[in-house]
Amino acid sequence: MTRKSTVVLGMLGPTLDTGKTPERWSRWRPSVALCQHEDLIVDRFELLYQRRFDALAGTVMGDVRHASPETDIRGHVVEVDDPWDFEAVYGALHDFARAYPFAPDREDYLIHITTGTHVAQICLFLLTESRYFPGRLIQTSPPKRDRTELAAGSFTIIDLDLSKYDRIASRFQKEQREGVSFLKSGIDTRNAGYNRLIERIEHVAIASRAPILLMGPTGAGKSQLARKIYDLKKGRRQVSGDFVDLNCATIRGDGAMSSLFGHTKGSFTGALKDRPGLLRKAHEGVLFLDEIGELGADEQAMLLRAIEEKAFLPVGSDREVRSEFQLLAGTNRDLSQEVAAGRFREDLLARINLWTFRLPGLRERVEDIEPNLDYELDASARLLGVRITMSRDARERFLRFSTSREALWPGNFRDLNAAVTRMATLAPGGRIGPPIVEEEIARLSEAWRPAPAAGGAGGGEDGEDLVLAALGARRAAALDPFDRAQLAEVLRVLKGARSLSEAGRVLFAASRAKKKSVNDADRLRKYLARFEIEWSEVAGGG
Amino acid sequence: MLTIDGSTGEGGGQILRTTLSLSLITQTPVRITSIRKGRARPGLMRQHLTSVQAAAQVGRAEVSGAALGSQEVVFRPTAIVAGEHTFRVGSAGSTTLVLQTVLPALLRAPAPSTLTLEGGTHNPMAPPFDFLDLAYLPLVRRMGPEITATLVTPGFYPAGGGLARVSIAPVPALAPLELLSRGELRGRRAVATVANLPSAVALRELDAAAAVLGWEPACFRPSVLRGGHGPGNVITIVVESEHVTEVFTGFGERGVRAESVGAKAAEEARDYLAAGVPVGEHLADQLLLPIALAGRGAFRTVRPSSHTTTHLQLLRDLLGIRASVEPISEGAWHIEIGR
Repeated sequence: MTRKSTVVLGMLGPTLDTGKTPERWSRWRPSVALCQHEDLIVDRFELLYQRRFDALAGTVMGDVRHASPETDIRGHVVEVDDPWDFEAVYGALHDFARAYPFAPDREDYLIHITTGTHVAQICLFLLTESRYFPGRLIQTSPPKRDRTELAAGSFTIIDLDLSKYDRIASRFQKEQREGVSFLKSGIDTRNAGYNRLIERIEHVAIASRAPILLMGPTGAGKSQLARKIYDLKKGRRQVSGDFVDLNCATIRGDGAMSSLFGHTKGSFTGALKDRPGLLRKAHEGVLFLDEIGELGADEQAMLLRAIEEKAFLPVGSDREVRSEFQLLAGTNRDLSQEVAAGRFREDLLARINLWTFRLPGLRERVEDIEPNLDYELDASARLLGVRITMSRDARERFLRFSTSREALWPGNFRDLNAAVTRMATLAPGGRIGPPIVEEEIARLSEAWRPAPAAGGAGGGEDGEDLVLAALGARRAAALDPFDRAQLAEVLRVLKGARSLSEAGRVLFAASRAKKKSVNDADRLRKYLARFEIEWSEVAGGG
Repeated sequence: MLTIDGSTGEGGGQILRTTLSLSLITQTPVRITSIRKGRARPGLMRQHLTSVQAAAQVGRAEVSGAALGSQEVVFRPTAIVAGEHTFRVGSAGSTTLVLQTVLPALLRAPAPSTLTLEGGTHNPMAPPFDFLDLAYLPLVRRMGPEITATLVTPGFYPAGGGLARVSIAPVPALAPLELLSRGELRGRRAVATVANLPSAVALRELDAAAAVLGWEPACFRPSVLRGGHGPGNVITIVVESEHVTEVFTGFGERGVRAESVGAKAAEEARDYLAAGVPVGEHLADQLLLPIALAGRGAFRTVRPSSHTTTHLQLLRDLLGIRASVEPISEGAWHIEIGR
């Protein structure tokens, strides 16, 4: 067993360590006393001092050698003009720490914080806390008046690694559990993967100010989670500004730049007065951009600059505006596909997907339907102002259906919320019985019934089958009926075509008639890419 | 390997030092467990570690567990290394405790030794140098070996920094010692030493001691030292008899009046004189080991302390000696050691 050497780093105390006459041995001098303890052996002592205290340093070093032959004491001149100047002291100590050959695998470092100015003590603390000094703090005290202690007094070693303290660690664990529970809106979710995901998000949300990207299908709870992340950070006093959220799909064209970045009065027709823009409103707060994949090219460029430089130009202004905000982004698209298709900036994606979390859809966490049902019932009760209860068989019936294969939940938690709201509203006397549940199940089944393919001479069912074959039931279910009908028709035509171009000529017949040359095949390939479908997968043999 | 439970009896540093001494002499590996168990800070403290390291140096021993706070030490000596040794002890420790640990083995080593001891020589927690020099070593010399101890510079707690030299001419076997009476009183004196402190401190101590002892004024003498390290103060009361010299010591301490330091040491000397036995409490404790090594001996002393009974038990266990402790009158005990 080889013991690690104990190495003390400390400042000479021009007041506390002082003394020239033999009488000094009757006084408690922290730097010397530190080497006189019965239960601490200092193998090496690095004594930092200013050159003008050269003589005192010499005396102290001599006395340490004398009182503690085990200690190899070395003096280091650290020049600081004003030992009360925080910046200067920090700089000098930082330089010392950077240059010092720490070997924590062989040596244990104790940073003595009893001597030196308060400023020096603060700097030593900060440098230890940030691990520039990879050690623990040691604080020494003079012997108590009742003389139960020997002349060396006492010392306390303080490890700033708070995880080493059981009671503090359990505090943190409790706080973390509260944070996780808060992010889950208090819903006691059971899906292990989801629970792990939220724990990780809690950790990142507290530890980082970097952008966070939340992926997941519509209705998976991205917006609610973004809001919760903000509330959590606000509660821990990590942000002081507001929560500003925007669905990028709702802004298009000229207004988009202006609503994000603001404009100056008269910068374009209708700009009757200054508008600060959402980024400025989010200063020192959180900006949540949902459906970030819908952002136009200009807005993407400006946003990237705003994230990287914390500055941007409002429309019509030649003066940069500063705003510091944490960006949360939401998307239900695969942004790397969008990058591949040239619709999303690669550099912007790189910037925002440092922390990417994919929220699962409801069908990926059926065990969480029950706790979410309870949550939605409570929420409805609060909204409607009446107590909502559900009979035992009604509840069982609803859960059986909800977790079955027929329940597609294309809108995920949004659908569940709607279903519960409807049942709660219709429940006579706030009591949801089996008839209400049956009615709701019928309503949901009807809504989720595959929509018939639009138009086309026959083959509607055919096209619907092709959608299922190309996307699988789960992804197909996530499509809006609008997109689904269109895709069904496209796939039906492709099935019968020999090439993309041939299919393009059919599908874009009207626009071809008006324009001279159109790259139909490319247009079609990009359309398929949105659904992650390759031409080769759906091509007909014929 | 022999295992010694370090928590038995008085259960402190002494059991550790005695075990190390005996392990050196008998060249028997030992395991000492539960060192200073149940103390506020259990396990080896720095002064104990110093003794372990000194014993390891003299015994060229292989040691495991020699670390602060360690509650178990395994000590395997391979030789008794006579010759020159220097032990540097920090101010918190005491050179006399180190000397105590290694001396018995060097008394019977194959060759003479010279020890240089640097550090504390007068520490309230250990036998002071004057006690070893005037009371203990003359009796050891009587058992055969030649020992001289010289105090070059005293080292007072807490500064330490003293220097002492000890030379030892060993003998193959120690002669038995019998010390049943003091004999005729030959001399008595009280010396109050102050180092870098006002001489008034010494004079006040001496006045208080004189009031207790009632000796003629010529017996009381101050000694004023200047220079050296740190302040220090000690009053040493020496009672020389025909067969034995006893030493009683009081240490000046911050916050303790000089008068009470002087009076307390004087009361010990007075009680010793009244008890009529040759050996005082501390000397009794020191004599057990050399007598046990000699195999035979006896002395009369005051009521045995817990240190003494712990020590005797350890000697019974490790050396297989027989020992009896019998009260012979009010305040006097007879201790007899044999095979």
